[in-house]
Amino acid sequence: MLQEDKRELSESYFSKERLAEHHFRSYNAFLEHGMQDVVTEKERIETDIGDKEDEEPVWVELGDVRAVTPRVREADGSEELLYPQEARLRNITYSAPVFMEMSIVRGGEEEEERVLDTTETKVGRMPIMVGSDKCNISGFSDEELIEIGEDPADPGGYFIINGSERVLMTSEDLAPNKILAEYDSKYGDEIQVAKTFSQRRGYRALVLVERNREGLLEVSFPSVSGSISFVTLVRALGLESDEEIVHRVSEDPEIVKFMLENLEEADVQTQEEAIEDLGQRVASGQGKNYQLKRANYVIDRYLLPHLHEDGVEEEETRINKAYYLCRMAEACFELALGRREADDKDHYANKRLKVSGDLMKDLFRTALNKLARDVKYQLERANMRNRELTVNTVVRSDVLTERLEHPIATGNWVGGRSGVSQLVDRTDFMGVLSHLRRLRSPLSRSQPHFEARDLHATQWGRICPSETPEGPNCGLVKNFAQAMELSQDVDDERDLKQELSSMGVEGIPGISMETTSTTSADD
Amino acid sequence: MQHPHRCPECDGTIRETDTEHVCADCGLVVTDAPIDHGPEWRTFSDDPDHAPERTGAPLTRSRHDRGLSTEIGYSARLTGRKRRKFARLRRQHKRATIPSKADYNRIYGFTEIRRLIGTFGIGTGLRDQACTLFASAQTAGLLHGRTIEGFAAAGVYATCRTNGVTRTLDEIAAAARATRPELTTAYDAMNRDLGLPTGPIDPREYLPRYADALSLPARIERQARELVAALETDGLVAGRNPSGVAAGCLYTAATETDHAVTQSAAAAVADVTPVTLRATYQNLTDA
Repeated sequence: MLQEDKRELSESYFSKERLAEHHFRSYNAFLEHGMQDVVTEKERIETDIGDKEDEEPVWVELGDVRAVTPRVREADGSEELLYPQEARLRNITYSAPVFMEMSIVRGGEEEEERVLDTTETKVGRMPIMVGSDKCNISGFSDEELIEIGEDPADPGGYFIINGSERVLMTSEDLAPNKILAEYDSKYGDEIQVAKTFSQRRGYRALVLVERNREGLLEVSFPSVSGSISFVTLVRALGLESDEEIVHRVSEDPEIVKFMLENLEEADVQTQEEAIEDLGQRVASGQGKNYQLKRANYVIDRYLLPHLHEDGVEEEETRINKAYYLCRMAEACFELALGRREADDKDHYANKRLKVSGDLMKDLFRTALNKLARDVKYQLERANMRNRELTVNTVVRSDVLTERLEHPIATGNWVGGRSGVSQLVDRTDFMGVLSHLRRLRSPLSRSQPHFEARDLHATQWGRICPSETPEGPNCGLVKNFAQAMELSQDVDDERDLKQELSSMGVEGIPGISMETTSTTSADD
Repeated sequence: MQHPHRCPECDGTIRETDTEHVCADCGLVVTDAPIDHGPEWRTFSDDPDHAPERTGAPLTRSRHDRGLSTEIGYSARLTGRKRRKFARLRRQHKRATIPSKADYNRIYGFTEIRRLIGTFGIGTGLRDQACTLFASAQTAGLLHGRTIEGFAAAGVYATCRTNGVTRTLDEIAAAARATRPELTTAYDAMNRDLGLPTGPIDPREYLPRYADALSLPARIERQARELVAALETDGLVAGRNPSGVAAGCLYTAATETDHAVTQSAAAAVADVTPVTLRATYQNLTDA
């Protein structure tokens, strides 16, 4: 390549749109559908009204949510468009009102369901990223920007909270929903563990399959203290016969031998027995019916939540969970037999980046829950005092606003992480650019973590090999390489699964039925 | 703290340096070591061992306990019996935090005030004032036989009025949980027994908001302001609905500069009938 061509290419990577592009893409995706997804997930706000006799239940249905562009409410009551520079100078927040459709519904038990009130109401204010689609300066020419006092060279990609510019640090997490096999030690013995961080809709659960020193497999997951036998769990999930369990794990004769040892030690033989056994673990000392109920609830709620999908029946999900556990078991055995090596946690294929939009989604989810709790309380109070129930009088818009602004202003994010938002480094122009393209590992900087700090070969082309701070944060704080491209999560997994299915992948829940019939027709 | 402009000892002039206020004549140090009210300059990024807290939030009048409450928190480390024990403690503590029915009502009133202030987008300073007003009305025993919602709304209305950011009674009533009669009853009681420092409303207070709602430029708003002043010198404002006068002046200013605003639109924004608006218009055009 010619020198000039190279220069042109390199310059285009340094254009204004490219520098903070990852922030814009992520945040715009959040505004476009992330916010609506969270509201749709929530669906409705239930209340305790209707628990008493002769009282009909009341709930709130949540509908469409939308954010407009930033504006400021003056003390005299007038509202006008707000531009970033004004927000900076007046020490106010660059945020836009968020409106949500809500309807209060009463009835359903004896009377018919009746909508008491439907309104699109202002539920709070959402901080808007400078330069994003909802920003008032998006699409402005350089002349227009200068006209309103804005710097045309400013890359954007940060928020303005109470006049201070805050950037959300991209965080580098271990990839969720992947099996990671590794060695561990327990009581001095080396054991093999397969881990999965299962994640769905902001809920994160760690599932561990361990091969202990007797060669027996044990599984641990949230809500069950300690661990339970692998065989018991897969039987509870509906994988009953010895033969099926063995063959679902592996066909390898040595692994089959290991599995037979496990089956010999098994306490239970049928699915009913297994669920009873699980029930005693999760709700010991309770009534038998409750134990069974609780066991089923735990399986469907806390075990491998990422395998759930809307429109797929629990029965099918359960058997898939069993197969998934078998894959984890196989990984443990292969590691024990030296057929494979432990997974490299520092390999970039095992990393995912959480950019501003993902972080805002986490924030919005907890803020919405808080708002829902407040609406529930206000509704109950209003009902108790025999007031007319209207949407406008039960929504306090400062609840959501505070929950969104406070974490960005202080950096104390939901889930106890701190330092997520930082004051934009305005030492010089390069400082801003570097700060917007910085990423942080969540590992503690007070521990050595030598492997995590090392430059890994897979960082080639993605992470700058030389830009990292000296001192305690060395190697934990990194910066994007110049030509880094950040790929985004699949929006609709169903499309992807449909495609995989058409390419011949079998047993995808919810899709396999329809497509197997079509493919057979094609053949 | 307000610094004196003269030395308290010898009445000499005071010289201000970066950190001290010193009398230039006798050398008395009037104040030293001032508090820096600026932002925290230390950075605490992700060090959980050195939490950046020095003290709690400041006291506030907008909470029934002035923000000085104790909460029993959650810990993931507790298990079994201890966890259940703390759940029981938490429940009992929650019950014990509200000592009387009066406090309960106060919390309810304050929540309503916060909600109203939030919907109108008024600052926190006014929120504290409104809450203080509500509390005084409660201590004065005005709430007996009247409604909490009414007093909450009236507190907001009165605070807005005394601070020159008036909202009309109709606007408040539309957003409040109280009905219009409840609001006026409560406001009258407050005005009578607490001696609110409110005079007649200046129509100018409404101008920016109405001009914004009718999307009129600042130029017309300025002209309307002059028209209000002209009416005042002629003594034509007293005894009129200030909201109507404001709308009338805006309408007149808009028509004079060929800005299309209908009488009914201007009247709707001000919550008055076009007839009320016309009275002002005629006054202005006759003069």
